[in-house]
Amino acid sequence: MAEKSQPSANYRTWPVVLALAIVSLPLVLMYAYLFIDTITDKQPAALMPDTLTLRHWTFLWQTPPGRPNIWLVTLNTLIFTASTTAVVLLVSSMAGYVLSRLNVPARGFFLAGVMVLHAFPSVTLIIAIFIVLQMVGLYNSLIGVILVKAAIDLPLGIWLMKGFYDSVPWEIEMAGVVDGASRFRVWRSLVLPQVRPAIMALALFSFLSGWGEFILPQVLAPGGQVQVLSVYLSGLIADDNNFDFGTFKAVGVFYVIPVLLLYGFFHKYLMNIYGGGSKG
Amino acid sequence: MRSSRTLGLIMIAPAAIMIVLFFLMPVVLTAVFSFTNMTTATGISGGAYQIAPNSLIALKDEMPEVVQQLTEPRYAIDEEGIKGVEGLALGPGIATELREKHLGEVFSSRREAERMIKDLNDRPSTRDVKQISEQFNRSVANLRFSSKEDLFASLDKFGFKMTSEQKEGLASATYTGWSWTTENFSRIASSPDMAQILFNTLLYVALVLVLFNTSYAMLLAIWTHYMPNTQATIFRSVWLLPRITPVVIYVLMWKWLAWDTGFISTFMGKFGYSPKNYLLDNAYNAWLFVVLINGFIGASMGMLVFSSALKAIPKSQFFASEVDGASRWQQIRYIILPQMRWPILFVTCYQTLSLLASFNEILLSTRGGPGKATEVWSLAAYHTALNNYAGNLEYGLGAAMALVLVIIGIILSLAYLRVFNYATLVARPLIED
Repeated sequence: MAEKSQPSANYRTWPVVLALAIVSLPLVLMYAYLFIDTITDKQPAALMPDTLTLRHWTFLWQTPPGRPNIWLVTLNTLIFTASTTAVVLLVSSMAGYVLSRLNVPARGFFLAGVMVLHAFPSVTLIIAIFIVLQMVGLYNSLIGVILVKAAIDLPLGIWLMKGFYDSVPWEIEMAGVVDGASRFRVWRSLVLPQVRPAIMALALFSFLSGWGEFILPQVLAPGGQVQVLSVYLSGLIADDNNFDFGTFKAVGVFYVIPVLLLYGFFHKYLMNIYGGGSKG
Repeated sequence: MRSSRTLGLIMIAPAAIMIVLFFLMPVVLTAVFSFTNMTTATGISGGAYQIAPNSLIALKDEMPEVVQQLTEPRYAIDEEGIKGVEGLALGPGIATELREKHLGEVFSSRREAERMIKDLNDRPSTRDVKQISEQFNRSVANLRFSSKEDLFASLDKFGFKMTSEQKEGLASATYTGWSWTTENFSRIASSPDMAQILFNTLLYVALVLVLFNTSYAMLLAIWTHYMPNTQATIFRSVWLLPRITPVVIYVLMWKWLAWDTGFISTFMGKFGYSPKNYLLDNAYNAWLFVVLINGFIGASMGMLVFSSALKAIPKSQFFASEVDGASRWQQIRYIILPQMRWPILFVTCYQTLSLLASFNEILLSTRGGPGKATEVWSLAAYHTALNNYAGNLEYGLGAAMALVLVIIGIILSLAYLRVFNYATLVARPLIED
């Protein structure tokens, strides 16, 4: 019945498939060549590669002059992304619960504030954030970027968690409270397990968005010791002297593979967020 | 239930603190900074008063007599100079007498100072007089004063005769820090560059929004709606790729497509066209690519929203219409589109704000070029304040430009709040009193 229940089964589908295939071609082409170009060489005027090679991947064991070591950069990216995700998860799972279930003063005000901030273009604040971080001495440190990135992702996180908490039946909490558990205990042991899909989704979203984040690290932590992969790669591309798409793409593939793997395994969790929330 | 209230406050505190510190404070500070003339040159902390040669040159037309005075050397008998004289290993009486009789005196020319030195009891030789007077040669030029009072005190000490107006003028001309001003806004309002950037922004938002974020997203949603599930999933995944790919790589791929050693150049080379950089070749191409690059990302959100809205339409409506002999176009026209009003409104509202503020893709692909053809508002603010070719970053002006976006952001966000029915979100908790 699954296939049959698709509407208008009495129409032909192949013209639609064909049309969509044609418009999707540039994307498919770009992603296919992203991978192919990293392990092959081709003549300057050729479209098809002719030899297999690993020379584009030498950046993994040779550090080019004037650039930080790729593993240091990867470690930075990992620290940045993991910390951001952890902060966002912890803080928004608590705040979401408060906004959904607990009666705090100015709750409505806080809820409205989060709603506004969620839609708010946070990137417009980057000039002020830059000046503030310079004043307090957190410029060019990972901690500064982590805090800023986490704060920027927070409204989405709080909003999402609140939505999921709202869908948890009250009876579960009532039962817990009646049995004598504290509200904190109820949250920890009864409610949190109920919203695991939301936590998964938020963790994934935070991880992907942190991993891909470019403008914040570029502005707030551009230095070699704290560089992340996006800044490293954009530095490579901007360097006109050693121009080599093969190497760029190899770094790019190195950078994008975690994202694609995560997306491949967990994409069904992400749909909730990409459908309703994220920006861009 | 006081305990749950306390618990609530504790649990929400981290979020509140982070949002206030890194979200609300920057909003307020953007407004504050936009009323300053902060640049790299003025620094971001308070400045000092420095009578530098260039500020004197700048003052020459306004206050010639003041500048004339300031450029003359002064001879001040101070403790520092007397220590220097002691170090010269001349007769010990000289330093002692200078300290006792002349400490604090100021001479407006070398001759006067030397006449005084010659009259000392020890009567130094002419060569020694020159050495001694050199110890007292003081100039206010290139001295730094941390406050206005220090500057004025030092001017008085050296015996410069100035009216308080002249002093104030000198102080403002030699101040190296930032000061309050509303000039940023008049610059934004009057500069023809800004008008061009505003036009670019409107064009960019309109093109991407209409062509991709709504129209093409709707097309994708409808196309995949009429497909078998597997194929639909494949195509949806392909169109989600740009969104999950880190923006740096995504733009790299477009560059590979468009650059003079890239795919299009190579491909067109087969037909005898010489290779060129299609991305920055001319303004029209740059615009085409900017719209495509952003559109391909933007299409996915609309696609997801519209797809789930399409799923919510009862299947029976489609089957009934097919029984009645409706064509596919009639299905779209009379069943789908009327029920999509709400999702379309949501996507349009939401994406307007996102597009206004997004500049990553343009920054990485065209950097606003060629010339300033694809420079949009948010990118211009970024360029002004954080990254420009001239090297002097104008934080104040950049903040003023960002403030314009902040205000638009606040207005639109509040509008969403109304449109998307805020009241239903604030239902009171059930357990509490």
